Amino acid sequence: MAILEVRDLASGYGEVQILWGATLSMEKGQLTSLVGANGAGKTTLLKTVMGVVKPREGSVWFDGRNVSSLSAHKKAEIGLVLVPEGRQLFTDMTIEENLEMGAAPKRAKSKFNANLERVYVMFPRLKERRLQRAGTLSGGEQQMLAVARGLMSDPIVLMVDEMSLGLAPVLVLELFKILRQLKDEGLTLLLVEQNVQMALAVSDYAYVLSHGKVDLHGHSKDLVHDDHVRSAYLGM
Amino acid sequence: MDFFAFLIDGLLIGFVYGIAAMGLTLIWGVMNVINLSHGAIITLGMFGVYLAFAELGLHPYLGIVLVGMAGLLTGMVIYAVAIHRVINAPHLSTLLATFAVNMIIIGIGTAYFTTNARNVDFSLGSVKAGPVNIQVTRLVAAAFSVAVTGSLYFFLYRTKYGKYIRAVSNNREAAELMGIPSAFILALSFGLGTMLAGIAGGMIATFFPFTILSGGTYEVKSFVIGVLGGIGNPLGALIGGILLGIFEGVMPYFTETSWVPVFEFGLFVAILLFRPQGLLGAKK
Ligand SMILES: Nc1ncnc2c1ncn2[C@@H]1O[C@H](COP(=O)(O)OP(=O)(O)OP(=O)(O)O)[C@@H](O)[C@H]1O
Ligand SMILES: [Mg+2]
Repeated sequence: MAILEVRDLASGYGEVQILWGATLSMEKGQLTSLVGANGAGKTTLLKTVMGVVKPREGSVWFDGRNVSSLSAHKKAEIGLVLVPEGRQLFTDMTIEENLEMGAAPKRAKSKFNANLERVYVMFPRLKERRLQRAGTLSGGEQQMLAVARGLMSDPIVLMVDEMSLGLAPVLVLELFKILRQLKDEGLTLLLVEQNVQMALAVSDYAYVLSHGKVDLHGHSKDLVHDDHVRSAYLGM
Repeated sequence: MDFFAFLIDGLLIGFVYGIAAMGLTLIWGVMNVINLSHGAIITLGMFGVYLAFAELGLHPYLGIVLVGMAGLLTGMVIYAVAIHRVINAPHLSTLLATFAVNMIIIGIGTAYFTTNARNVDFSLGSVKAGPVNIQVTRLVAAAFSVAVTGSLYFFLYRTKYGKYIRAVSNNREAAELMGIPSAFILALSFGLGTMLAGIAGGMIATFFPFTILSGGTYEVKSFVIGVLGGIGNPLGALIGGILLGIFEGVMPYFTETSWVPVFEFGLFVAILLFRPQGLLGAKK
């Protein structure tokens, strides 16, 4: 059974509709990627799944339960967590406080120490700077913190929006390796990526979003060979 | 030696101004709402202590503590009823919403209490410090203000809900995404701001007579202090309050009392023009 299922989701901002009935489904333990041109509605989709943007039509199912009407903090509480585009850190707070805020859901509290230990092992640089204000970190460090903060809420499904944007290739590789490792530990992941090549290389399954609808989906290893994907997104 | 008497008087009242301003700037800092019911809430604090004292026979300091607790709850209710629905609307909507709350409080208060002056008839005498007599109630109020500021810092930096307030203030959407119930935290922040305003009103009631309309003056002072001390910075509010208190205290020594507000607001405008981030620098 799918752990996260999005059915015919429609939403937008004010008068403008952005999503026009997007449908996707993710199996437990899978790494899924969601790609599409700028402005296709990827971020809007993730925000609508979380409930930050209200769905107009359609539904979101988590672990067999209709969670469409839950507010975002309740979704985080049950293990559906988004690392938002643009990091959205608590810039006036320290690294450690940011991580502490990540652990706001009740289910994460009891595992706080173990999770903190774990993210500090993953990102030793964060540990070195733990009392530094998040706003003073470098771009790469901020992205690490955004991912680490998401992990502190002990997610069942973690969605990451544009993790690699603006980061050096070495760091992108490092972060993808970490996500891969998390997947191997059983985490379900949904990655929104500009870097389509990378996204298809690491993911099991992929969706292509275009004008607010899923245009194409399939196993990532098949999509890499799809002519449309190759010409439109991989520049081949 | 008149000068020192004025100075110390102003200084001690300044601590209380600081607490009032803290209430205003806390709300502004966390949710970008300019609370136009601030003065009315200060008045409620005055009447709360007055009623506890005159009707229930409670000690005014116990009254202040009760007013603080009632203020927390009242503020949360005000937030839920009047403010949450417009929290994401343009500033004009939140201004109007808080102004409406102000009018409701003042309206009911005037109907019930009229605009006659009240007085908490209570004194702890005075102590002599060199050539100056100091009212003990003012010393107590200043000490209490320092304790309140310290507690607020402890709350904001050391407790779970305090940190949630800082997180929501810093980035509301991210806080919500991380599992922090942001609507509740906003209500709590508004409650805390209301609590501080009420406590300040209660302390003022132990110094001066007041009417249902007295809060307005302190609301305006709170704005001046917010500009002096910067927004979203409790210590800045306290220091700003003390500065304003001293300023008000010593000005009558140099000029007629009726000129004091003129200089006060001249200062306000000058700071806005030349140092809009506040004299002491602000977080934002
Ligand atoms: N808050 C908003 N108000 C109005 N329109 C918005 C808002 N946020 C996004 N949009 C519009 O919605 C459309 C989809 O935006 P969205 O951010 O979902 O795209 P995206 O696929 O994530 O793009 P990118 O790859 O550039 O991040 C865009 O045309 C954008 O201008
Ligand atoms: Mg996006």
